[in-house]
Parts: sequence; structure tokens; C-alpha cells
Amino acid sequence: MVHVTAVGPTRESLTKPVRAILLMRVVELAMASGRLVAERVFGVLRARLNEDQAVYARRQLHQISVESYSLALLALRNDRGSEYIHALHALIAARNSDGSWPAFSGDDPQGCWATAMAVLALGAVRDRPADLGLGIRWLVDERGREANWFWRWKFQTVDNNVKFDPAKYGWSWIPGTTSWVIPTAFSLIALQKAKDGGLIPEPRFSERISMGVRMLLDRMCPGGGWNAGNSAAFGVAYTPYIDATAIALLSLRRHGHEPGVRASLSWLATQLPDCPSPYSLAWGLLAIAAYGRKNQTIDTAARATEALITALGNCAATLDMSTIATCALALEAIDGENVFRV
Amino acid sequence: MSEVDRRRALVGAAGLALGGIATTQLLPEEMWVRDRRPPQSRVAILSALAYSEDLADSLTRAIRLFDLDLHNKSVLLKPNLVEYIAGVDVNTNPILVGAAAEAFIRLGAGGVVVGEGPGHQRDTYLVLIESGFDEQLRSQHIRFVDLNRDELVRVPTEANFTGLDHLWLPRTLLASDFVVSMPKVKTHHWAGVTLSMKNMFGVVPGSKYGWPKNLLHWKGIHRSILDICATVPLHFVIADGIVAMEGNGPLHGTHRHLGKVVLSDDPVAADFTCARLMGLHPERVWHLDHAARFLGNGSADRIALLAEGLPERVVPFNVLPQFAYLRMPVASR
Repeated sequence: MVHVTAVGPTRESLTKPVRAILLMRVVELAMASGRLVAERVFGVLRARLNEDQAVYARRQLHQISVESYSLALLALRNDRGSEYIHALHALIAARNSDGSWPAFSGDDPQGCWATAMAVLALGAVRDRPADLGLGIRWLVDERGREANWFWRWKFQTVDNNVKFDPAKYGWSWIPGTTSWVIPTAFSLIALQKAKDGGLIPEPRFSERISMGVRMLLDRMCPGGGWNAGNSAAFGVAYTPYIDATAIALLSLRRHGHEPGVRASLSWLATQLPDCPSPYSLAWGLLAIAAYGRKNQTIDTAARATEALITALGNCAATLDMSTIATCALALEAIDGENVFRV
Repeated sequence: MSEVDRRRALVGAAGLALGGIATTQLLPEEMWVRDRRPPQSRVAILSALAYSEDLADSLTRAIRLFDLDLHNKSVLLKPNLVEYIAGVDVNTNPILVGAAAEAFIRLGAGGVVVGEGPGHQRDTYLVLIESGFDEQLRSQHIRFVDLNRDELVRVPTEANFTGLDHLWLPRTLLASDFVVSMPKVKTHHWAGVTLSMKNMFGVVPGSKYGWPKNLLHWKGIHRSILDICATVPLHFVIADGIVAMEGNGPLHGTHRHLGKVVLSDDPVAADFTCARLMGLHPERVWHLDHAARFLGNGSADRIALLAEGLPERVVPFNVLPQFAYLRMPVASR
């Protein structure tokens, strides 16, 4: 394994141009090392899809996680082998009659946050269903419960232990509940990509995206980053999570000028390299990669790539499918192609 | 039958139907569920000053008091693993969980797994590493199952406090012969307390219900606790009250060294006992009060204390102002 942090002189002793060159070299080494690991990760992902298919076929059940299969489909989109075909068909078969997706096949036939993942994945492949627009419109129509005037009034008056502005709403995990960071961020990415790709004509894209962005900025933790949904409750500020921060940052890439977005990116850059978990490392790398190549992010990307490679070395075989697929996508993003970049 | 009689009969039938509906809505929900309270529940309170290697021996001796048939049974330990906050004891201590695993193996269990589905943090592995669980479980070769991402089974609810007619639950939970709730004894800013029953929120899978399981909050935390605990098989409790939490729990409270581990074959009895150790009125906690009407025993005369008794004097836990009514006077328990 290449230990990419083994650079001789201290960082402080280097001039800016020298440091930039060294950092680029560090990134190249990380990328080379990452490509080798990526091959192994893709291998594990393919094996997991085959195993999954065989297990459920034997039990005559086919409970697939829409999140996992969406991420797997995204990871295998350029491969298009039998595992890709299996993931594609399984994902389309899991769809509800109204065009939304449940959390998993066999689930209650009610759309949920996983619709954003499926729309994002199927929107990125050539073999997308012709009526994917149904799912996109379901997302456009869906909103957190605080969008309703009554609940907004309740949160503004009598139920205000949790700090947030209920006039700014996004998307919930499941219908009938309040907006949370991760479903909102994934919905924003899915809708932004659907809009940019011209998947359907939808006049409400801009309005929904704009409201979702405002919701995320409102829920940011003091000092940057995001927790699961709110910045403070009962007078205590929440601390950010790496994955929620990374996914929120991915959805806010076009708002990089916002001070809160910059602060969140800085927070992520300081936390990521020391993170021991592949799942958070992978999402963090995807976010860092989406924000381009400034010195701070290059350094973070290199160190986090090494951390991810080390972490994968310890546990790749035991990870769940969504984590494996996210790791594959992160290693690909370090190499230049980021499916979540908006 | 004449036209007038037929009309009267129809009006009468409609009246009866409406009356029936009104009655079912007005009567307490626990009247419509099976009373499953045992004649007597058993609780063992153990003193333990610290998280140490000795806990496995203490727990083995204490579990023996219950005379359980654990031979070849698959045991699922469900700790309270929420997230890692540096310097704050938020989670059930991994040493206690390891000790419980060791004790169940010594007592003949066929296997022990630890399972949890954290409520807010999607990166379960990160929480495992940061909280020390990963190291503890690896050292004892104990498997961990992320209940947020397990295969799911549709299970009809066995109570109707939320209006949910079914829950999707992890297959690992349902396939286990013996499920042990291992809560951290804490106050809770929404529910008043979080003990063995509230701890079972963690078996509800995030992959279906989200992070957090926000639907359960909208249905009412207390009501959801009752539906979950009426539906989920829950056989035993080992509550971590060695270092407990008071004030703004479950995450941002302050440590309270209670020095107790509470074991029970009835989660309601366990939670009533823990609340009493916390100096709080258990019957004033909505879900505990209702659980004691059908799910288990709360009344002291139906709880046999197998080990230590309740202390004579308890300094009540600090609570947020909205829960001040839960606190007992210092002298009583």
C-alpha cells in the first residue's frame, strides 16, 4: 500500500507553489493506489449482487434495498454486465404504481425518500424507464410536514424546543413527517440533475430546489456542518455528522459562495482524514471531490483516500452493499468522475 | 316488516354502530389488548462501582437467580447505542455488554449477537468504533448486526396505541430465541426517562422508517413505545445504571454515578425499578403507567426483588423543568 502522507519536509516549511506540486503528486499517488483498491471494491460489489440475487431467489423472496441498489446501479453504470442488468431490473420492479419507490421491494406501497436515490440512479443510466418522470413529479410534490400551515404555526408558537424555521421545508424520510437533512439533500441532487438533463419539463423545479436549499442552510449547525435534521434543541447546539455534512454539501455545490457552505467544507476537511469508517469517508471524499482542487481540499482528499484504502483493507468483505457501492463511487470521484456533482 | 319498522331497525342499528365506535374511541386502549402481566415479576438490583472485568461473574450469578432455560438458545443483546459524544457516557457501556455476552455463554446459550439500529447516525460502524464497541466485540468474537439495515419482516402490531397496524422488524430480532434489552439509565427530554422499553426504539429499522424514526415521534413517543414493546419479543433486561445520565438526556445530560445494574424478566418491572432508583415516580411516566396496565408489573407488591432492595434514601435525578412532576421528594422512593 502507498502511504501518501509520507512527504519529507513539514507543510509549514514549503512555499505555496512547491506545496501545490507536492500535493498534486500526493493526489496522483493516492489515485493510483485508489484505482487498485477500486478494482477490488467493484469486485466485492459484483459478488455481493450475485450473492444477494442467489439468496433471495432460493427463498423465493427478493427484498432489495432501493438505496443499496440505486448506489450499486450508479457504481456499475459504465460496466453494464449481468450485475448491472440485475440491479436495473430489480430497481424498476420495486417501483410503486404512482412512480415513487418504497424503501425496499415488498414494502408497503408508499413512496419514501428512496425515490430520490432511484431517480438519481435511473436518471444516470441509458436504460432508464420512459416514465421516470412520474417519480420525479412525485418528488416535486412531496414535502416535509412543516410545509402545512397548521404544523408550521405549531412549531412557531407552542412546540419550539427544537431550533428551526418551519417556513423553510425540504423532504422527509417518509411522507407525513418533518424534513430532514439527508432526504432533502438527495432530493435536491436528483431534481437538479433531472432539471439539468431535461428529463421532464417541470416548471416547479426551481421553486422546490430553492426552498430545499434554504431549508438546508437553516438547519446547519453553528460553525458549519449538519446533524440529522436540526442545529439545536433544548438550548444545546448539535454537532455535525460527517455523512450528513458531506451529502448536504454535495447538494449545495452551486452555493459554494455561501459562508455557511464554506464553513461546512472547512469542518469536513478537518474531520475527514481521521475518520475510521468507510461509509463516512466515502461520502466525505465525494463531497471534497465535488468542490474542486484547492490546496486544503487536495490535502484532505489525499489523506482521506489513504484512510479509506486502509479502512477498506480492514473490512471490505463485511460491509453492506450501500457502503461498498458508495466507496466505489468515491474512489471513482477521486479519479475525476463524480456522479453526485451538480 | 312495515316501512316504519324497517326504518326504525335501520336507525337503531346505525345508532348501535356509532355507539360502538364512540365507545372504542373513548375507552382506554389497554382495554383492547391482551393482559399479559405475569402474577409476579422478578428484578435483581446489583451494586457495581465501575465497569470492570468482574462484571461477567456478577452477571452470571445474578442471571442464575432467574433460573432461565438458556440451553442452546440464540441470544440477542440490544444495547442503547446512539452516537458518540466525546466525554459523555451516552451509550450502554461496551464492557457491560461484553460481560453480559460472556455470562449468557457460560449459562449455556448457543450463541450471542449484539444488535442495534442507532436513531440518528446512519454510520453505525463509526458509532461502533468511536464508542469502543467494535474493539470489545472483536476481542470476544461477538457478531454485531446493524438492525437498521437487516432483512425485514412485516409483523402485525399487538397493541393499537399508534394506529399502526403493523411494523417492519429485523429478521435477526425475530429469529432470536432470547432478546435482552440493555438500556443506559437516562432521563429523556421528550419521554421523561429512557429505559428498557424506550430502548426498543432501536429495533425499528432506519432503512424503512428513516434516521431518526420520525414516524414514531409523530405517532407519539409514549404510544410508539407501547406498540413496539407489545409486538417485539422481549425476554430480559440488563440495565446499565453504573454511570447514568440526568438532566437533558438522552444526549446532553450530565453523568450520575448510580452504581447499579438492574436485571429483570419483565421490562415494565425493570423500568419501574430503575425509575425508583432514579428518584422518579414511574407511574407519572405515561408509557410506564399504561404498560403497567397490560404489559407487565409496576406495582411493588408484584415485583420480587431477588438481590438487593431499593435504597432507603434516593436523591432524585435532575430533570428538565417540564418533567419536574416526575421527581419524588428526597425521603421517599
